[in-house]
Amino acid sequence: MKFRGKIVDGACLNHFTRISNMIAKLAKTCTLRISPDKLNFILCDKLANGGVSMWCELEQENFFSEFQMEGFSAENNEIYLELTSENLSRALKTAQNARALKIKLTNKHFPCLTVSVELFSMSSSTRIATHDIPIKVIPRKLWKDLQEPMVPDPDVSIYLPVLKTMKSVVEKMKNISSHLVIEANRDGELNLKIETELVCVTTHFKDLGNPPLASESTSQDRNPEHMAEVHIDIRKLLQFLAGQQVNPTKALCNIVTNKMVHFHLLHEDVSLQYFIPALS
Amino acid sequence: MLKCVMTGSQAKVFGKAVQSLSRISDQLWLDPSRKGLALRSVNSSRSAYGCVLFSPVFFQHYQWSTLVKMNENEHDTTLNLKCKLGMKSILPIFRCLNSLERNIEKCKIFTRSDKCKVVIQFFYRHGIKRTHNICFEESQPLQVIFDKNVCTNTLMIQPRLLADAIVLFTSSQEEVTLAVTPLNFCLKSSNEESMADLSNAVYSEMFVGSDDFDFFQIGMNTEITFCFKELKGILTFSEVTHAPISIYFDFPGKPLALSIDDMLVEANFILATLADEPSRASSPQSLCLSQKRKRSDLIKKKAGKNVTGQTLECISRKAAPRRIYPKETLTNISALENCGSPGMKRANGDISEVSESSVSNTEEVPGSRCLRKFSCMFFGAVSSDQQEHFNHPFDSLARASDSEEDMNNGRFSLS
Repeated sequence: MKFRGKIVDGACLNHFTRISNMIAKLAKTCTLRISPDKLNFILCDKLANGGVSMWCELEQENFFSEFQMEGFSAENNEIYLELTSENLSRALKTAQNARALKIKLTNKHFPCLTVSVELFSMSSSTRIATHDIPIKVIPRKLWKDLQEPMVPDPDVSIYLPVLKTMKSVVEKMKNISSHLVIEANRDGELNLKIETELVCVTTHFKDLGNPPLASESTSQDRNPEHMAEVHIDIRKLLQFLAGQQVNPTKALCNIVTNKMVHFHLLHEDVSLQYFIPALS
Repeated sequence: MLKCVMTGSQAKVFGKAVQSLSRISDQLWLDPSRKGLALRSVNSSRSAYGCVLFSPVFFQHYQWSTLVKMNENEHDTTLNLKCKLGMKSILPIFRCLNSLERNIEKCKIFTRSDKCKVVIQFFYRHGIKRTHNICFEESQPLQVIFDKNVCTNTLMIQPRLLADAIVLFTSSQEEVTLAVTPLNFCLKSSNEESMADLSNAVYSEMFVGSDDFDFFQIGMNTEITFCFKELKGILTFSEVTHAPISIYFDFPGKPLALSIDDMLVEANFILATLADEPSRASSPQSLCLSQKRKRSDLIKKKAGKNVTGQTLECISRKAAPRRIYPKETLTNISALENCGSPGMKRANGDISEVSESSVSNTEEVPGSRCLRKFSCMFFGAVSSDQQEHFNHPFDSLARASDSEEDMNNGRFSLS
């Protein structure tokens, strides 16, 4: 298995660094899937993660000026690696004002992802910083658990408000209760509710707008003001919101009543999907 | 015994010095002398030492004096300020340095030896005054003596560049390795970690070309390993000075010195480096011998050299062989100290006596020497043959002349 890629454009480098920082905040350990035209950061819904799953996808040609890979085999031309996300984001921190960034799969005592950054220097000599990030190659038989999750038909699909506002609201709510209710309707209204014996707090967001639904049949039957709700663990929502440092280009939320909430964000050309299951 | 006055911006530099020394240990010595006010700090495993010396002209007003105790037996003992402060007491006072610089008109520091207190006062506009009284512990300051001039390798680099290199390393990494060749400089993760950790740890390295340095003189290819945390200490201080950082080092095992000399202030951080001894668990006797040999070599070199007041003198300090066994090292040392003379205190006395007087002189000297030499910890092994090594003229050693001045009875003040 082989992989090597090079990023020379400053803007692409910064974007890639931001994505890596976001992944580091969302998942401690994640899977990196390398295929001929895409890179994916995957977190599968194991019990260890509390049932949360994540699927982040980016087109490699939007970032890399050079990209070569050779997967497991000709039919399965993909590479699945497990790594500690923070190691990658920290290695990329040095790439802030870099001339070029090279990533490749190497084997130095054990498999590594070697990130080498060529920095600008005041004089003629270049400064090169290299990081060998240890990784684990995931065997072929486990690949089936790491496929793109199926998105069930949502009861309600709604655009999210400014994430920073949502985050500060949820942060304060976390101190009162660990159980949060998200509800939304087709009239552009979203509510965040917490309830304890002593107090009940609700934050209302209005005029958010709803994206057009794929299946029109269900939409006819329902009253647009009818709220679809799901009960989730507030800390999982907070972790998701904390990872969003930059406001996304597009952000929407799909609610399947009492089953789960699915967040779909677009950061320029990188898509992120985050699934939080309902509390049982 | 100490009184000094500073402006807001001078207080900021002072505060930064305190912050950078807090990275070494949580105790600070305030050591005023003729040369100025020195802040010193030594870590608990004796593997790192920091000293920031503010020259008398740094301050708006600097006044220092020693107390002379008249003894019955005609030996006047001079008592210098033996002031040790806890970092926890002094660090919070010098918080928010930027606002301190903007808002205070004057900062006054003075000691009240009758109550063992250091008083720090900040004078703001409109007659507002903030006073802090800190109790200090009486403790003889420690000093490491290290001659930067005999080091084979000397580098001078802009602090910004070094700070950029440090970003590479995670704070979980204890040690970094510096590898140099006459053309190249490389900072990398230490290879000393056990194999079990390696599978999880990121290995990083950064090459910096010799052109990026202000001064690059490498005598021999060297690879030394030292603690990363203390390196950050001097970088903290470099934020308020305008001078480059000079790095002096030799072979593994010999300490590494990092210094900034900004005319009015001089900072020196001396760090132990890992020695690549083939047999770490060497018997106390052999350790003892090799130390003596090294020491005599260096003293031979120094004979006849003119040492100015500012440079620190040379006695090689053999670093603890392996930092992950600090306890073992310390017991070895105490074994050393006992081999030859009954107790450590006695050993100290012997050492200072030998170095500060001519060879034949074996009389007891007053216990309160100005500064207890740090190196005594490692050279406590005293046997009669040690005295043979000191067959060199000591007139050129500044330490000898210092001891004469310390005997001065007068007040010494500079304003």
